[in-house]
Amino acid sequence: MSTGIDRPLTKRLEATRSLRSLIKGYYEELFRAADEGRPSAWLNVGVPCEFFYAMDIFPFYPENYGAACGALKITPQLSAVAEAHGFSADLCSYVRATLGTVFSGEGPYGELPKPTLQVSSMNSCIMIMVWWRAVQRHWDVPTFVVDTPLVREQSEGINLDYVESEVRRMVAWIEEQTGRTLDMERLREVVRLSNEGKVLWSEVLDLRRARPCPITAADIFTHMFPMVALRGTPQYVTHLRALRDEIKQRVDEGFAAVEGERYRLLWDNLPPWFDLKLFEDLAGRGVNFVIDTYTQAWGPRYMGPIDEADPVRSFAAYMGAGFLNVQIGRRYDLLAELVRLYDVDGIVFHSDRSCKPFSLVQVELRKRLQEDLGVPGLLLEGDHNDPTLLDRGRAWSQLESFLEMLDARRT
Amino acid sequence: MIRGDHETPAAARVGSMGSAHSSSGAAALERLRGVGSDPLAELAAIKERTGLMAVGYFDSYLPEELIMAHGLAPYRITVSGREDVRSSEFIQGYACPAARDLLEQSLRGDLALLDGVLFTRYCDSLRGVFAVWDSEKLSPFVDLVRYPTVVDTPGAVTYLAKELQEVSDRMARALDAPLDERTLLDSIVACDRKRALVAELAARRASRELPLSGADYLAVLVAATTMLPDDFTATLSTLLEHPPAGEPGDAVPVVLSGTTFDNIALATAIEAAGLYVAADDLSSGSRWYGVRVGASLATGAAGAQVGDEEKSAGTFTDPWEALAYAYLSRPPCSVKEPSWPRADHLVSMVRASRAEGVVFYLTKYCDSEQVEWPFLRDRLEREGIPVVMVEGDQKGEGSGALSTRLEAFREQFELGGELS
Ligand code: SF4
Ligand code: SF4
Repeated sequence: MSTGIDRPLTKRLEATRSLRSLIKGYYEELFRAADEGRPSAWLNVGVPCEFFYAMDIFPFYPENYGAACGALKITPQLSAVAEAHGFSADLCSYVRATLGTVFSGEGPYGELPKPTLQVSSMNSCIMIMVWWRAVQRHWDVPTFVVDTPLVREQSEGINLDYVESEVRRMVAWIEEQTGRTLDMERLREVVRLSNEGKVLWSEVLDLRRARPCPITAADIFTHMFPMVALRGTPQYVTHLRALRDEIKQRVDEGFAAVEGERYRLLWDNLPPWFDLKLFEDLAGRGVNFVIDTYTQAWGPRYMGPIDEADPVRSFAAYMGAGFLNVQIGRRYDLLAELVRLYDVDGIVFHSDRSCKPFSLVQVELRKRLQEDLGVPGLLLEGDHNDPTLLDRGRAWSQLESFLEMLDARRT
Repeated sequence: MIRGDHETPAAARVGSMGSAHSSSGAAALERLRGVGSDPLAELAAIKERTGLMAVGYFDSYLPEELIMAHGLAPYRITVSGREDVRSSEFIQGYACPAARDLLEQSLRGDLALLDGVLFTRYCDSLRGVFAVWDSEKLSPFVDLVRYPTVVDTPGAVTYLAKELQEVSDRMARALDAPLDERTLLDSIVACDRKRALVAELAARRASRELPLSGADYLAVLVAATTMLPDDFTATLSTLLEHPPAGEPGDAVPVVLSGTTFDNIALATAIEAAGLYVAADDLSSGSRWYGVRVGASLATGAAGAQVGDEEKSAGTFTDPWEALAYAYLSRPPCSVKEPSWPRADHLVSMVRASRAEGVVFYLTKYCDSEQVEWPFLRDRLEREGIPVVMVEGDQKGEGSGALSTRLEAFREQFELGGELS
């Protein structure tokens, strides 16, 4: 992903350089695996890559690929291809972008290699399942769905037993498809590294509490890639340590990512990958999004350390209560906690046309948080991946009015 | 588009002009039509007549037997099709219009008679509606059935059986309505019986023996999940025993495919275009009425031992497992996995009803159906079955554009007939 990198107004993190080479290396490995006939799997972000690294199956995340298409602003062209095949323009823009590549062989990295298998889980949206289904039908690729029924707060009791049985069924299915077996010792090693990185990630998120905040939202969104796709690899730990150290140093030096930080805001939902510049433009107005909900999905509240003694059950608990698999009560609690911890002036709820599970609770959340905690919220219509769905001018004037309202509250 | 100047072919017409012999059938039909067009009035009448509390649900994967087993009246909340904007204060406009309609009914106060509502994870729009419902406490009792999405594994059956019991416990406590095991078994019998009768009606329509219009058939489907089962069964039995006189008409027979479809006025508009809805592939229709829980219950159930082999063949001694199995094994909706049996089901409905084509009704913003559509289209094409997709919001009587599109679809058959 190349977004958020060329920003004149805010100072680029050194770690962005190593991130670039991580991403490059990851894609090279994808193609190398295909060339060498090694197995690869398409996974959604709710399916832990740790199992796949432990089984030497290359894990590929189409959502991440979709974000890359978004960053390069090519979603509309790819979407047109998907639409020509009969897929609706109302589908999630990640889906349209990826299907466009699958059907045309076009995209930021050219034709994507056909995976050996696909696994999806139900812990984010229905869209994922039907997206994989469309790919399965086109490429005739073996596909597995891990059932993770929606829960209110946690996966426990019969639900956790069921999800655990689903994870075991997944492992057995992968073994059958690939002829590889899951070595539990190897999985534990991967889990150890994964846990190490997660601690570093929570430290990174915590460091953003500093006043002034040491990094911008564009920084953190750009740096999500290793959390999604590289968990459990040595390079992920190395990278996160460097990232944590660099941010810590900034905090120690009192570095302000946004000069004259005037507004500390919270961003809810995915970012517009095609327009991370929005955050930079807002930096010019003294705005920093010091925290967000999306990156919390990999944070300790949703993805705590996996128990090395019983990784399968532990992964099941995480999958069963994934960020988008729990209900409005937990989102409310999370937002309320972040507002307090990060000393936030207001919340921008990015109403992402594509992402119903993330977005369709926002109107209610905004209302309740305003009523209960007095924290103002702005509902900003847009999309995470399709630039045609964001009216930049309108968004900007809404943001301006929101900032004026925040000013008025101060006086 | 070339149009002949002939009359629009007539869809089937039965009912009010029936002979004396069929007058009881005509009265039964009138009753079903009445319930179909105003299900909330029927709910009010049920509550008034019986004093029962009522629990609503939205999707037909929810076993109504669960509700009945607590001595409660089950009520499938149907899409009202009314124009309303109230939901926009609570949920974004890209939630599907059918889901928003359900929320609007509640916000209007139309559902005040419901003492509780059960949600399942059906789709992401309904899930959004659940969030608002739960947060705003739009009914005295609201609960989420942690429903499986994967429907073809023994694990899903075992899990759903347990989950239904947990929901049952919570519902019993919340509404002070204890579970009665005997009533559960009786409910299974009563619901199987009514679904079997709907299946019989569908089969007799498919063979044109009973030329009930598609709009009337939809009214029966709505009535089937609104009236109390015994009442519905008695009424539909009368209709089936004394079918009112009528003619099949010469409209082009089609299968109506989609998710839930409750808008009778819209069905009337489809048929006004010269099509006859001879059968359906709807979540609230043929993908539902085939559910037979009793068939999965081993005879002499209580205490009998059933091994894993029998379970995998769909035989259970535990009524909860039988319920779970029966509901999970229905022809799937596109929100379930695997979904491919749906296409087979659709094709079989076309063949069985000698339909000449398919009308695929796509509800705007319905993600799973949007992805299913190209697949179903290609499959139908391979089978040589013409299909038209119409997208809409399940509101009112549909638009002029919808009628034009459907008329063009119908003309395709006339032209084909003239050419052959
Ligand atoms: S709908 Fe949301 S959760 Fe689902 S694939 Fe799209 S962005 Fe991801
Ligand atoms: S039409 Fe589709 S999106 Fe709407 S409620 Fe039904 S399944 Fe959900």
